[in-house]
Amino acid sequence: MSTLNYLKKISVWDADAARHILSRSLFGFTKDDVTFALTKTLDDFVDNYLLKDQPLPSSPTYNGTSWTTLPDNTTNQTNYTNWQYSLIYWWYNLMLNQGYSFREKMVLFLHNNFTSQYATVRIPQLMYIQNQLFRQNVFGNFKDLTKKVTIDPAMLIYLNGEQNSKGAPNENYARELMELFTLGIGNYTEDDIHNSARALTGWRVDRTNLTSSFIPNLFDNTNKTFLGKTGNWTYSDIVDIIFDSRDASNNPIAARFICNKLYKEFAYYQPNVDYINQLADVFVANNYNLKPVLSSMLKSQYFHSVDIRGARIKPPVEFLLSLMKQFGIPNVNNDILGYIRSQAGALQQILFDPPDVRGWQGQRKWISTITYPTRNAFTDNNINGYKISAATTLKVDILQYARSYSSSEDAIAFINDVTKQLIQFPISEMRKDELLSTLLDGAAVYDWNTYDSAAPARLQTFFKSLMRLPEFQLS
Amino acid sequence: MKRREFIKNIGLVTGAGIATFSIAGIPVKAFARPFMNVQGTNGKILVIIQFKGGNDGLNTVIPLDQYSLYQTNRPTLAIPQSSIVSLTAATGLHSSLQPLKALFDSGKMTLVQNVGYPNQNRSHFRSTDIWLSASDYNQTLYDGWIGRYLPKAFPEYPSLPPLYPMAIQLGSVQSLLFENQQYGGLAISFQSPNSFYQLVQGSSVDNDPPPATLAGDELKFLKEVANQSIQYASIVRDTSSKGNHTSNYPANNTLAQQFNIIANLILGGLQTPVYLVTLDGFDTHADQQNAARHPKLLSDFAGAVTAFQTDLQDHNLADKVVVMTFSEFGRRVKENVSKGTDHGAALPIFVIGNNVQGGIIGQNAQLASNKLDGNGDIQFSYDFRQVYATMLKDHFGMTDTQLNQILLKQFSTLPLLKSSPTDVTDYNAIPDDYTLMQNYPNPFNPSTTIKYALPQSTEVRLKVYDMLGKNVATLVDSYQSAGSHTVQFNANGLASGTYFYALETRSQKIVKKMVLVK
Repeated sequence: MSTLNYLKKISVWDADAARHILSRSLFGFTKDDVTFALTKTLDDFVDNYLLKDQPLPSSPTYNGTSWTTLPDNTTNQTNYTNWQYSLIYWWYNLMLNQGYSFREKMVLFLHNNFTSQYATVRIPQLMYIQNQLFRQNVFGNFKDLTKKVTIDPAMLIYLNGEQNSKGAPNENYARELMELFTLGIGNYTEDDIHNSARALTGWRVDRTNLTSSFIPNLFDNTNKTFLGKTGNWTYSDIVDIIFDSRDASNNPIAARFICNKLYKEFAYYQPNVDYINQLADVFVANNYNLKPVLSSMLKSQYFHSVDIRGARIKPPVEFLLSLMKQFGIPNVNNDILGYIRSQAGALQQILFDPPDVRGWQGQRKWISTITYPTRNAFTDNNINGYKISAATTLKVDILQYARSYSSSEDAIAFINDVTKQLIQFPISEMRKDELLSTLLDGAAVYDWNTYDSAAPARLQTFFKSLMRLPEFQLS
Repeated sequence: MKRREFIKNIGLVTGAGIATFSIAGIPVKAFARPFMNVQGTNGKILVIIQFKGGNDGLNTVIPLDQYSLYQTNRPTLAIPQSSIVSLTAATGLHSSLQPLKALFDSGKMTLVQNVGYPNQNRSHFRSTDIWLSASDYNQTLYDGWIGRYLPKAFPEYPSLPPLYPMAIQLGSVQSLLFENQQYGGLAISFQSPNSFYQLVQGSSVDNDPPPATLAGDELKFLKEVANQSIQYASIVRDTSSKGNHTSNYPANNTLAQQFNIIANLILGGLQTPVYLVTLDGFDTHADQQNAARHPKLLSDFAGAVTAFQTDLQDHNLADKVVVMTFSEFGRRVKENVSKGTDHGAALPIFVIGNNVQGGIIGQNAQLASNKLDGNGDIQFSYDFRQVYATMLKDHFGMTDTQLNQILLKQFSTLPLLKSSPTDVTDYNAIPDDYTLMQNYPNPFNPSTTIKYALPQSTEVRLKVYDMLGKNVATLVDSYQSAGSHTVQFNANGLASGTYFYALETRSQKIVKKMVLVK
């Protein structure tokens, strides 16, 4: 029996395909970005732009001072809230100014796989170090990254690894490592948890140097049986055994689990098992390197099918930041980023603070009877103008934005172009008619032009209505 | 943010109380008829508190009769005997739960010991799903037990949704508890009634049909949520401001603030039968007895429910409301090396209200190593679904048949609640099918009583025919609500003999015989 080759490349690289890839791999994009992508071939754009290795960004500062290497002590702790905010703004800026790189979305993916909560860790320096660890390994070897994360200081604090010693081990990290980070529930026993917890003993965090270290006499230096293998295993052995683990039909469990998560995050939240299994084969064949998997996914026909395009509910941070990019808001300063941070909180996505160790579940969990209208209020505020501080008002220059479309003076063509650019979901003719009548507000279609004195008000109402649409929540 | 503006939203209607919209693809006219059905809820309210993270039941309810064994297992975490709050000679509470003693002593709190299920799952997420969906350990359900209950309480949903939300969750992420496979999420979520109303203002209802693709499914979901918020934001705000009052809810206690919001809604007259609130932070793998951790959570809980109960009593509403707790699991009997506890199994739960029987159901947790399970965890004595069954039957008045449909299996109830509405089957509950009872008395002269019951609101006729099929009387010809109805038939002017009475609806006709003897 032959299975469909889900990873077959799309044959048409056009504006629809480019918009889909851009919407899934960046935090917002403009018309110019679509034009640029189409000047490259699909392979060139994906492999040499989206997945290109980039140098690490320089560290965040607060009030012009670098804080990321300062020890965790009582003097420094008074600044932690400010530092943590500056860390969030630093990441927001990377997301906004990432060029054509897929990197920051993948860093967020890794943060959501290997979760740590600042609310528990309480040391911004360590959250920064962990975040850079993700960035450093973002397109690299996932198995190696899993080892590094296991002894990452923030993770050792978050899941009590630093309190794990021989004698009466703390099982917290061992369980979540398997259940949430690598294998998924059902692929290990309670005994595997007890025994791997023993292998993970002995690690401590040095809060002055912001590092972790191994203390041999705290380590359970005896044999442990883990996933059917017996030996005096260490943390590194545990990760190797996890990745070697196969199901009854000899399929790679961890590879499928991770590819399922990638699919869920970037394609669609309900699994397509055959597609995921094919991705997992690529993952294993490339020794758990992420780049070939991402490359296959982004180029594949199924990833571009009508089922997938426009089927992803925009996560809050993406929803908020992409507006800045799409409408070309100039000078996105810390006032604006602070407002975005507060809105992201209301929408249930505070960076560095996922709700629990499972991370953000995404998709429909983003939407409730309270978060949906909160999204609407944010898009309204961008159009109406929202005064954040004495110096800063967030406001889209709607006339300038409208005239950036060559079709701005032709109402019907304008609505076609705007909806294509801003909404990935295939919008119905009925919707377009509704939008047209909102834009015209009773005027005749041939009377429409942006130089009419009523045009700015009409454009405001039009864009507010458009962004309140459920279709606008999808990407 | 609080901009009050009306956006002329495209193709959408915000009529004066009559909005055409669609839920689950069924176009309906909402609010055309005021519908205040309390039959499927018995007029009762259930407030569920989720202790998120796995509550350490053994440091919540302490087995005084096994104190030394408890202390051996928990050298650093054991609550000193002197500060334990004794409920009985054998059973005590964590010192932070002191306020609950008065509730217990006045018979307004029942403890159910060792609640769990066979083959306890120790994953937070899987076990939470098991509790929320009321599934077996090896069964995955995509709806919640309350999500399965609500359509039984509101049989006209979605064609005639109630005027008030069927369920309310204080928070921002919709819980599996309220999911229904057929209708989607049945609860609305918000944190404050006022800001909820402000945000929803200016939105309107939407009925453009989505395409039949995966992406279209997501669009449909978004529309349903948007429509729900529009539907209920006003009534929530209005009842909340009507019921707005101050009472002694403790400060620095977010759970207490949430209970204050719920009290405002109940006092304002909202008939919503189910509320969910969450208290997070119970995953105490380390430093559990730190004053800011487990003790703080327990004291927030005790302070919040005590204030709530007092508040309801002061307003004569305490008979309506029951509060119950749950958590995905208890924690291991033996403490770990970091002064914490790892994931365990069974745990006690609290049920609070005027109508509870009071006391303790079940024995203390048994700590002897031969009484623990293979992981060193407390074994369960009561299936958590027995507690649910009790709430559904004795609080909300569900019938046994409905109970089985909601919990998907038969579970015996527990002697938790005082006034079990045992007669509810005949009089109050919504039946599963049309029923026409035998008239009483029969034979009769000259009058008799006929009872019948409707599973949903409908046009209904009740007619009497003679042996030749001639219609001699029409007792009912109107639109009636779901539930039981009773009519008197007076046969003055008719001759002795056999007659037929027939219950006729659009879909059904049921006929029974009666005998008039003059």
